[in-house]
Amino acid sequence: MARLGMLRLSHEKQDTLLKLLILSMAAVLSFSTRLFSVLRFESVIHEFDPYFNYRTTRFLTEEGFYKFHNWFDDRAWYPLGRIIGGTIYPGLMVTSALFYHILHFLHVTIEIRNVCVFLAPLFSSFTTILTYHLTKELKDAGAGLVAAVMVAIVPGYISRSVAGSYDNEGIAIFCMLLTYYTWIQAVRTGSLYWSAFCSLAYFYMVSSWGGYVFLINLIPLHVLALMATGRFSHRVYVAYSTLYCLGTVLSMQVAFVGFQPVQSSEHMAALGVFALCQAFAAYSWLRSSLTPALAELLLRSFMWLLLIAGSIAVAILALSGKISPWTGRFYSLLDPSYAKNNIPIIASVSEHQPTTWSSYYFDLQFLVFMFPVGLHYCFSNLSDSRIFIILYGVTSMYFSAVMVRLMLVLAPVMCVLSGVGVSHVLTSYMSNLELGRALSRTRSRRHPDHSYPGKQEVSSAVVLFLSFFLMTYTFHSTWVTSEAYSSPSIVLSARSPDGSRIIFDDFREAYYWLRHNTPQDAKVMSWWDYGYQITAMANRTILVDNNTWNNTHISRVGQAMSSPEEKAYEIMRELDVGYVLVIFGGLTGYSSDDINKFLWMVRIGGSTETGSHIHENDYYTPTGEFRVDRDGSPTLLNCLMYKMCYYRFGQVYTEAKRPPGYDRVRNAEIGNKDFELDVLDEAYTTEHWLVRIYKVWRCKMMPIMYTLGCGDYVIDLMVV
Amino acid sequence: MPLWKLSFAFVAFVCYLAASCEAQKTKDMLLSEKVQQLVDWTSRRSVIRLNGDKFRRYIKSPPRNYSVVVMFTALEPQRQCVVCRHASEEMQILANSWRYSGSFSSRLFFAMVDFDEGPDVFQQLNMNSAPTFMHFPPKGKPRRADTFDLQRNGIMAEQLAKWITDRTEVVLRVFRPPNYSGAVALMLLMTLVGGLLFLRRNNLDFLYNKTGWGIALLCIVFAMTSGQMWNHIRGPPYAHKNPQTGQVAYIHGSSQAQFVAETHIVILLNAAITLGMILLHDAASGMGDASKRKILCLVGLGLVVFFFSFLLSIFRSKYSGYPYSFLIK
Repeated sequence: MARLGMLRLSHEKQDTLLKLLILSMAAVLSFSTRLFSVLRFESVIHEFDPYFNYRTTRFLTEEGFYKFHNWFDDRAWYPLGRIIGGTIYPGLMVTSALFYHILHFLHVTIEIRNVCVFLAPLFSSFTTILTYHLTKELKDAGAGLVAAVMVAIVPGYISRSVAGSYDNEGIAIFCMLLTYYTWIQAVRTGSLYWSAFCSLAYFYMVSSWGGYVFLINLIPLHVLALMATGRFSHRVYVAYSTLYCLGTVLSMQVAFVGFQPVQSSEHMAALGVFALCQAFAAYSWLRSSLTPALAELLLRSFMWLLLIAGSIAVAILALSGKISPWTGRFYSLLDPSYAKNNIPIIASVSEHQPTTWSSYYFDLQFLVFMFPVGLHYCFSNLSDSRIFIILYGVTSMYFSAVMVRLMLVLAPVMCVLSGVGVSHVLTSYMSNLELGRALSRTRSRRHPDHSYPGKQEVSSAVVLFLSFFLMTYTFHSTWVTSEAYSSPSIVLSARSPDGSRIIFDDFREAYYWLRHNTPQDAKVMSWWDYGYQITAMANRTILVDNNTWNNTHISRVGQAMSSPEEKAYEIMRELDVGYVLVIFGGLTGYSSDDINKFLWMVRIGGSTETGSHIHENDYYTPTGEFRVDRDGSPTLLNCLMYKMCYYRFGQVYTEAKRPPGYDRVRNAEIGNKDFELDVLDEAYTTEHWLVRIYKVWRCKMMPIMYTLGCGDYVIDLMVV
Repeated sequence: MPLWKLSFAFVAFVCYLAASCEAQKTKDMLLSEKVQQLVDWTSRRSVIRLNGDKFRRYIKSPPRNYSVVVMFTALEPQRQCVVCRHASEEMQILANSWRYSGSFSSRLFFAMVDFDEGPDVFQQLNMNSAPTFMHFPPKGKPRRADTFDLQRNGIMAEQLAKWITDRTEVVLRVFRPPNYSGAVALMLLMTLVGGLLFLRRNNLDFLYNKTGWGIALLCIVFAMTSGQMWNHIRGPPYAHKNPQTGQVAYIHGSSQAQFVAETHIVILLNAAITLGMILLHDAASGMGDASKRKILCLVGLGLVVFFFSFLLSIFRSKYSGYPYSFLIK
């Protein structure tokens, strides 16, 4: 049957058809494998930061680009506010707004939320196609196809690009590979067309992710390596000079980047290499019209001049304080443990952790061993583009080892090089396989004379095992995607004892309650983790959010949470708080709730001057434990956070054979059960008690002890 | 008669006053003498070394108007206390920061008692571990919170400073002398490389040796994929020995951490699998004796299959719930 269809096409056409088919299947696969969470839950934005991106995108589509650019957000960081237009990378939002408008122009009335949810999977499909082209430049179309299929399902990339994880990285990997591809083309052809295209791709990359710094250092490194290996040519000169000039000017158009490309030290390597390129080209031009002796003299005098001028410039800059070569930043580049030992904020964030071997295996599976094979192949057949991919591979390997988040940058090059390796081994043995068949066609084979007995069997075994490994890779990737990377964290799910799935949708329930039941201008206080979600979903003003730019403000909220009620009330009145929102997991067993984060609130709250009454030690038992039961420290049992979480909890039965008020996360019966709230009213508690919202009392309802303070407050207002 | 009585009472009262005044005076003198002595010592070395007598005189006994932070330690080499030396360095940094800061006053002193110089102090305070940091307030006895919690806070000078600020309300800013060892090492390396290049300036072909570079890069790749960077930053133990059973565990049970031994095993496994793949690759494309190539090919395949399944089983033991295995459970 297949014969009938295939026979009519020539070999080239069959070839193209097959490639097209495989590539489009890979693209579809890469889109569909990222849809686990949409199928399990619904089309929903994940986690925290994506909610901010979603909100800004919505603003962009509704208000237009200029308003977006000048946007001062008064809904966050009350009463300070935040300038948004100039402090974000706008590439992501502009991309989805563009898609939205194009679709609407075509009368496809898609909602902006759905554009946001499906943007990352769409761009990973594009990445798949791009990987094919990139790998094709390195070896051949076969390797390209293998690499494309690998990148479609590589977990290291999926972790950041599942449907709903609407973040910069989702499109940035595409931009990065696009820049690399156009760069390789530019170096290969030396044409202005490709170089200009490369600068545009670079501009897109700069506008979408801060990781562009990696790129603007890698490309100069490539140029430098080409110079060192004697491969520098006019093509490289044209490509790099164009890219540097155009790319730098374009990148400075992004408001958040501004003048950094000509000021900050991360961009200086690119500038240096640019100057070196000019000097190199000028020298080779002069040499062609001078005698060798003169050229030698010129080179020497020029070198000395450069050395002296350079050292004087560095000395002046260092003395005037423009550059500081021996600061922590410099050390942290050379010695990664420096940051961990000396900068605690880096040590505390889980995304900044170094990478264990098992997480390499978890995110890349057998690419870990195929990568060196591809490297070996590239080394044995060096070319300009292969040097580039080697540099990319090794540098990103180093960075991913320092910081687990950068696995994302490593994953594509892993696929490219593994694709090269796998395809090379497979093609060698596949051609052996054909030997045993009826040799109707005479093909040129590489080693027709070296065949040995049993070659057919050995080759079959190798091909069989390699296919087996590829299959395990597929199974592994699918399992990892489904188990580890597809939970939206805004909707939780659990298994009930009878095996059915329970959905906890408390977060959205609470946010929508806020949206519909509180005044438009109500100020909501919560810990900063939930800030983005509250502004995006409840549309209410919040005090602090995930953009942790003002430590004292966060500290003030921490103080309110960890103080006793009277003190907390003062702080809340000072900040004009209307509602307080806490996350409580004691009933359901949700472990990342506010009580478990509470020590951070205490620490951050006590770290500033206004929080001098907060001492971390007061919240521990005499033996130094953090306990919520009867033995817990009285300071803890009477602070605002404790009371808000456990209000009325003492009457609730949570588990069989346990006393009422048994906390299922801390596995303890709570220590302070019967208390009333003096300054707060319980406003709303969600179905599974995951979110509890309290209303802060206004003057009229004040109990007698606060009337005085409240009177002052009123008088103050009148004076103002 | 009453007058006489009264005058007697008066005289007695005056006498009493004078005596108490005298006592007060001697007390004041004693105090200022003590403070002077402590300031003197501090100007010589920022952490005062105390023996048993001095400890009792200057720190245990009143009158005092100063806080003292005392480190109880055992620095003698035969005590083999590595932590003590580290703690002592941190203490030095802290004391120096205080000694040379603008706000230095006689409110706070730093001192230390070595076990070999004052074992009686250790006995008296019922202390059986070193190092211990204790704060002696100006008035009264040290309370529970006056002992620094090493287990929880570590021995960094910054943590100590925070604790001291907590106890004495003296604000301390830790100033670490800049560490030039990194810069010096870098310079040394650069001069070494530069010198080597200069010596062999007539024959720089070795720089263009592809195999050398290739092997170096492969080494980097293997080091990184096996988590050597994690080891470097976190400094895990080589292996874990269970104190009860005496069994040694080379593989960490959780996916969040690893032992050094484990990474060495993994680096070997990764290299073996890669080697097998490269053998396969070369056997197919290289020239040479046919039967030799066949053997190479089979060896390569064997290496890949065996070590892959071995690695998979190790991975499985770290990730509970991982469903796939191959050959080795």
